[in-house]
Amino acid sequence: MTRRPGAAIAALGVAAALLLGGCTATASGSTNDKPVRGGDLVFARATGVTSLDTTTVHNNVSIFTAEQLMETLFTVSDDGKDIEPWLATGYEISDDELTYSVTLRDDVEFSNGQKMTAEDVKFSIDQDTKTADTGWGYINEAIKEVSVVDDLTVEFELKYVSTPFLAVLTMFSNQIVPKDYAGKSADEFYENPIGTGPFVLDEWKKGQYFKVVRNENYWQTDKPYLDSVQWNVVADVNTRKLQLQGGQVQIDVQPDWSSFDSLSETPGIVTKAFESTLLSDIAFNQEREPFNDVHVRRAIAYAIDREALVDAVLFGHGTPANSLIAPGTPYYDKNVEGPSFDLEKAKKELAKSEYPDGFSTTLLISSGNTEKSSTAQIIQAALKKVGIDVEITPLGPTAAHQAMLSMDYDMTLSGWTMDIPDPDQWTTFAVDPAGGSNSDNTGYNNPEVIAINDKAKQESDPKKRAELYSELQQITGDDAFLAYLYYSPYGFALSEKVKGFHVTPLGNYHLEDVYLSE
Amino acid sequence: MLQRLMFIPSRLLQAIPVVFGVTLIVFFMAHLLPGDPAQAILGDKATPEGVAALRTQLGLDKPIWAQYLLFLAHIGQGDLGTSFTYQRPVTEIVLQAIPVTMSLVVFALILTLAISIPLAAIAATAPDKPRDLAVRTFTLIGQGMPQFWVGIMLILLVAVRWRLFPVGGFGTTFLDHIYYLFLPALTLAISLSPTAIRSLRTSTITVLGSDYVATARSKGAAGVPLFRQHVLRNAAMPTVSVIGVHLGYLVGGSIVIEKVFAIPGLGSLMLDAIYARDFPTIQAVTLFVGIFVTLVGIFTDVVYTLMDPRVNLGAKGRA
Repeated sequence: MTRRPGAAIAALGVAAALLLGGCTATASGSTNDKPVRGGDLVFARATGVTSLDTTTVHNNVSIFTAEQLMETLFTVSDDGKDIEPWLATGYEISDDELTYSVTLRDDVEFSNGQKMTAEDVKFSIDQDTKTADTGWGYINEAIKEVSVVDDLTVEFELKYVSTPFLAVLTMFSNQIVPKDYAGKSADEFYENPIGTGPFVLDEWKKGQYFKVVRNENYWQTDKPYLDSVQWNVVADVNTRKLQLQGGQVQIDVQPDWSSFDSLSETPGIVTKAFESTLLSDIAFNQEREPFNDVHVRRAIAYAIDREALVDAVLFGHGTPANSLIAPGTPYYDKNVEGPSFDLEKAKKELAKSEYPDGFSTTLLISSGNTEKSSTAQIIQAALKKVGIDVEITPLGPTAAHQAMLSMDYDMTLSGWTMDIPDPDQWTTFAVDPAGGSNSDNTGYNNPEVIAINDKAKQESDPKKRAELYSELQQITGDDAFLAYLYYSPYGFALSEKVKGFHVTPLGNYHLEDVYLSE
Repeated sequence: MLQRLMFIPSRLLQAIPVVFGVTLIVFFMAHLLPGDPAQAILGDKATPEGVAALRTQLGLDKPIWAQYLLFLAHIGQGDLGTSFTYQRPVTEIVLQAIPVTMSLVVFALILTLAISIPLAAIAATAPDKPRDLAVRTFTLIGQGMPQFWVGIMLILLVAVRWRLFPVGGFGTTFLDHIYYLFLPALTLAISLSPTAIRSLRTSTITVLGSDYVATARSKGAAGVPLFRQHVLRNAAMPTVSVIGVHLGYLVGGSIVIEKVFAIPGLGSLMLDAIYARDFPTIQAVTLFVGIFVTLVGIFTDVVYTLMDPRVNLGAKGRA
């Protein structure tokens, strides 16, 4: 783990944290081994890459793969809490905090040998911003103008003070590509992109596999260690497991939790549960009765035994959730008291509501998802105990999502993962009705919370920011605008020959650090 | 001979309304599925504006009959649309998957024959003897075991424990393909061969008791040459139509098997397309399978006609 200055310390920190947390040692923990050059790494995962255009593609599988070809100015630290320079060497902020001057590394070349300059950076960020309506461009909302100062300096002028701004520059959609797509159209370019990443595209059979090979022009000399990486599409979870056991692949992405522990008992195979930013929750439609009543929402939040859910659904691989911000996200406060399981309190809250004798309602879930369907059944049984009759209504994934978007539901099972190492992406989406989603499609509207969120967005002192986010976490918990269920990690099963593989809480990984031991 | 094959053009003409019916059913069934493809493409964090823009771009905002007519017009030009998921011509994606599935089906068919012919011969030459009973037990078990279960068992034993074959995938070279497809083809063959064995066994017993075999025997023919020259050809007739009928099922069965063995053929393509509400791909795959099954029906008739001089499907009163 010598990816960047200070990474060794970070790795020790991660190892220590995991040991304290009682987890098994990480692959990155084997710092005694000397990385070996060569070898082909093969992943098996359920779905394939659909597009490499990170400004518009919305599925993580495509995004995490594209990140091996193209890189951003800043990146997220291994623990997901810090921002580190990547293609940039550093930045300066003006006194009014409205201008960021970013300096670039002078040794970065694209895979075609062309040197990366400030012109490329301006082009890339501007292209992303243009996709505000159809892609991820809205993430750049705070940017007023990007200008080129000299070959290695770019200036970002902001419309308003925005502390999450640097985190925004770690967003995959802000990856740096050559100016004017090196003379191609955007569509042509993203069929075989030219980037600064450790790998270049070798072969892409859509729906079958995606193969990359070493970028010989990579700016981190000696890296990557691997000759090639291939992601195979293997839809069936059992087949993925068997391919790993049979030695045909080295990494099984998302083995099911029910067989997670037994997989680690297979000789030569290790399982890893990386800390995530994944929150599972029940969303309430607060534009409908009875969910506009805070006592009803609290009653439900108190009535659910989260430990039982973690045991039954995740087979113990997760923790009950206490906040809308997940532990892998900066400013998560483990001390805020989100509603926890307490049947007496649940009954008291319901008694205070306009429906003291209970009521009937529906819980929308997306069909074909065993995790969601068992969660729904446990919730149904739990709520019956306080007098709430729940009918589970499964819909196809897209139909379920559409019902949520059009606020055509009572309660639904929902969730969130982060894309940048800053809580603002989620808190604004979740609590601000003007944040683009009517408060995560719940209709939640608490002016006090909105004000705190706005303040936290503009606060540059980390300490004060932490206080604001703690306050926000406490009030949203009391309001029970969502009933938080659990935080679950990212599960991976891999051959023990795979070394240096680490997944950040955002779900992405740096494959230039990975090698295969003899 | 040529005259006996005159039925082919009329069969092909009859196939047109069938295929047309397939397009109609497929189009409307796909559109009855709940869910919005634009939403499916853009995913969880898409904005309503983005979804609306994409709907317009994909033509999903037009009335359904207009979408169907457009679909037909495009088929006429060999254009089956653009895959919502992969944003490229469906024809290209389907053409990439067809050889994979066809290889699997053909390989499965070869293995089926390789299993069925000897076993049927062993059983038919000694009816009700122990070896016949053994073969009949095999057919019973083979038919009783669910296909996907056989597949998983083969993987567990042959691929994971003994590591003789890969667990799944397709490989890149021709030899690779044979190697990778062996277990899935065997799985399909195990489920198809009981039907073939039974039909072949029954007809072989009948043929063996016939006068012309007795004649051949009296002329000194015996053993494998007798079987090959005099028995198999005649006994195979009913089996050809049985296998013809089952070829359709074989393509269907390959959908499950492709999933179990992670083979990137039409089956995997179809399942992924259904999950993603990728209408153009669903339509194209179904259309292809529909055409395939129709053509197999005609092809079976051709083989039948060529094998048995007495069959004349073009004759009046028969067609």
